[in-house]
Amino acid sequence: MDNFNGIEPPMDTVGNIRVNNARIMCNNVFVHYSDKRAIDNLSLDIEAQKVTAFIGPSGCGKSTFLRCLNRMNDTIATCSVTGEILLDNQDIYAPEIDVVPLRARIGMVFQKANPFPKSIFDNVAYGPKIHGLAESKSHLENQVEEALRRAGLWEEVKDRLDQPGTGLSGGQQQRLCIARTIAVSPEIILMDEPCSALDPIATAKIEELIEELSEKYTIVIVTHSMQQAARVSHRTAYFHLGRLIEVGATKELFTSPHHKLTENYITGRFG
Amino acid sequence: MTNTPDNAPKSAILSPQDAEARVRASMATRRNRETRFRMWGIAAIALSMCFLVTLFGTIMSKGIPGFFQYYVTLDVTLDRERLDPAGDLSDQSLFDGDARGLVRDALFSTLQVSGRSNRKAAGKLISLGSDERLRDYVRTHPEQLDSEQSLKFALDDDVDSFLRGFISRDTPESDRRINDKAIGFIDQLQEAGLISYEISDYLFFGSASRNAEMAGIKGAFIGSILTLAVCLSLAFPIGIASALYLEEFAPKNRLTEIIEININNLAAVPSVVFGILGLAIFINIFGLPRSIPLIGGMVLALMTLPTIIISSRAAIRAVPPSIRDGALGIGASKMQTTFHHVLPLALPGMLTGTIIGMAQALGETAPLLMIGMVAFIVDIPGSITDPGTVLPVQIFMWADFAERMFIQKTSSAIMVLLAFLVVMNSFAVWLRKKLERRW
Ligand SMILES: Nc1ncnc2c1ncn2[C@@H]1O[C@H](COP(=O)(O)OP(=O)(O)O)[C@@H](O)[C@H]1O
Ligand SMILES: [Mg+2]
Repeated sequence: MDNFNGIEPPMDTVGNIRVNNARIMCNNVFVHYSDKRAIDNLSLDIEAQKVTAFIGPSGCGKSTFLRCLNRMNDTIATCSVTGEILLDNQDIYAPEIDVVPLRARIGMVFQKANPFPKSIFDNVAYGPKIHGLAESKSHLENQVEEALRRAGLWEEVKDRLDQPGTGLSGGQQQRLCIARTIAVSPEIILMDEPCSALDPIATAKIEELIEELSEKYTIVIVTHSMQQAARVSHRTAYFHLGRLIEVGATKELFTSPHHKLTENYITGRFG
Repeated sequence: MTNTPDNAPKSAILSPQDAEARVRASMATRRNRETRFRMWGIAAIALSMCFLVTLFGTIMSKGIPGFFQYYVTLDVTLDRERLDPAGDLSDQSLFDGDARGLVRDALFSTLQVSGRSNRKAAGKLISLGSDERLRDYVRTHPEQLDSEQSLKFALDDDVDSFLRGFISRDTPESDRRINDKAIGFIDQLQEAGLISYEISDYLFFGSASRNAEMAGIKGAFIGSILTLAVCLSLAFPIGIASALYLEEFAPKNRLTEIIEININNLAAVPSVVFGILGLAIFINIFGLPRSIPLIGGMVLALMTLPTIIISSRAAIRAVPPSIRDGALGIGASKMQTTFHHVLPLALPGMLTGTIIGMAQALGETAPLLMIGMVAFIVDIPGSITDPGTVLPVQIFMWADFAERMFIQKTSSAIMVLLAFLVVMNSFAVWLRKKLERRW
């Protein structure tokens, strides 16, 4: 706790909020929608090349906090964020930070698969195109193929790249969105309940994919399924009413929670 | 709760049997209500269909005859000396020539009339536009000079009305617009089979004229197209840019709220007010000339802007926010998100709104009266700065004239206007279908 530099320590978060190789460091983050507090004095490190899961009852601020990490909250006029969120020791909310390159580094996958109403190819190629990542047409094609491969979708769609992305099944659409994110070579991928609309088989595929991706990317996933958090994540953070209650290694948190609220939640007795 | 009967069971929820009985009992009333409602609906639709059929019935029954008129075929000797005294076929030379005399001579020899009063009566049978028609023929067929040709000339509008049976022989001579002598000549021409009933070329290719048989809609039609072109090229880009800015970029504060309310209010402003505005600003302050399609288009653009902005904003709002999130989430800028994703998805809706706005503008009369597009202009406008008029104003003017034939032509012009509208609306539907993504 010596790296707080005199800032008020966050209230009652159980467990070690700091890690050795942090990719993102959040200090004393508050988020308000108009006057309503959605995140209350939260400090947390996101570990590099690991999967961090956010769990908690709905409405507790998981999505809100996740959206702070790539400033997607900027699109909500009433939302205000204070505190520090450091990426490479640079506050991403500093005035000189441009959100466009930031979001290229920190990609996001949403709860509801949202492919563009374009072809599968164009969906994946869009990011490289707007960021000028491809030197030639064939380079772009290779990038699209590799992104689709990493998202585990290539075999299923290689013969119909020119067909609409919205014509795929729900699980395929979500993997297409992951491929679209991967194609811009982000370092960090944020996922907001990516499986909540999917059937168990599609969910299993995505979970497998997350495990593979964690070798290359730093991943933060919000999930309402404790089993899913247990299966895919290395570290889990439990949120309650806008506060970070407890954080720790996933195994430990699920087997021996320290905080009463955490225990109630994971044993299915919250409230 | 207080009026529960004593013998009722403790539970406030009825037993299934009781509930079923009550549901059954209420069915009759419900069915009756439903039937009555359906009847009202059918009656309302039937009534509006009635109005529509009556409307189209009257317009068509009057308008279709207006597409035709009576012509007389005369053998005219195209005497070079008399037609083209200077011999160069210039407008001046043809004008100095005696086209009128040649047509009259042809008519007189066909009817074998002599004497001043007979000639005077016979001369009134054919349209005053006949000499111009002959000059036009010579202009396009100079090789026919010095030969004799069978040419068709329009009959005067009173003769036309007589042939249609609007003027009866039985009315006393002093009460009709056409005298016994003329009727005799008409009979003579009809017996010779020289009178024909044909599609009116004057209606489609003529412009404004005080002579009913020569009046046409070409000038007004072209005026309408020029005016709409100005209106579209101003209102479409400005409207869409405003809608995009207000929806996607503008901060949500008091100022934008006030702007929003005012745009909505503008949509409800009577169109004549825009005409007054145009008169005060474009004509009186900027000193632009009156009666020109440029100003007409500018005034109509002011009038259609709110329609376009409101429907475009609705179209933009209908684009799912998840699409914007998707684009922003991989680092597209606000501008890229708007132009790559939001605009293409909103475009069909925007175009529909625009075309509805254009259709309104096409049928608009009042604001154009204010800026003087009601002037009597014979020349067909060649550009947006030439004086002109538009179809609805032309209809408005014709409806004011007393001649029987103008009544038919008014209905014909209304039919053309309606056809124009139908074409525009079908285009809107087609465009929407084409641009709308099915994925
Ligand atoms: N756009 C918004 N405007 C106002 N309040 C919001 C908005 N989004 C979320 N909230 C509120 O913030 C709180 C946290 O929401 P959220 O982060 O979506 O929770 P979670 O993802 O954990 O279910 C909730 O009380 C919610 O009502
Ligand atoms: Mg959420």
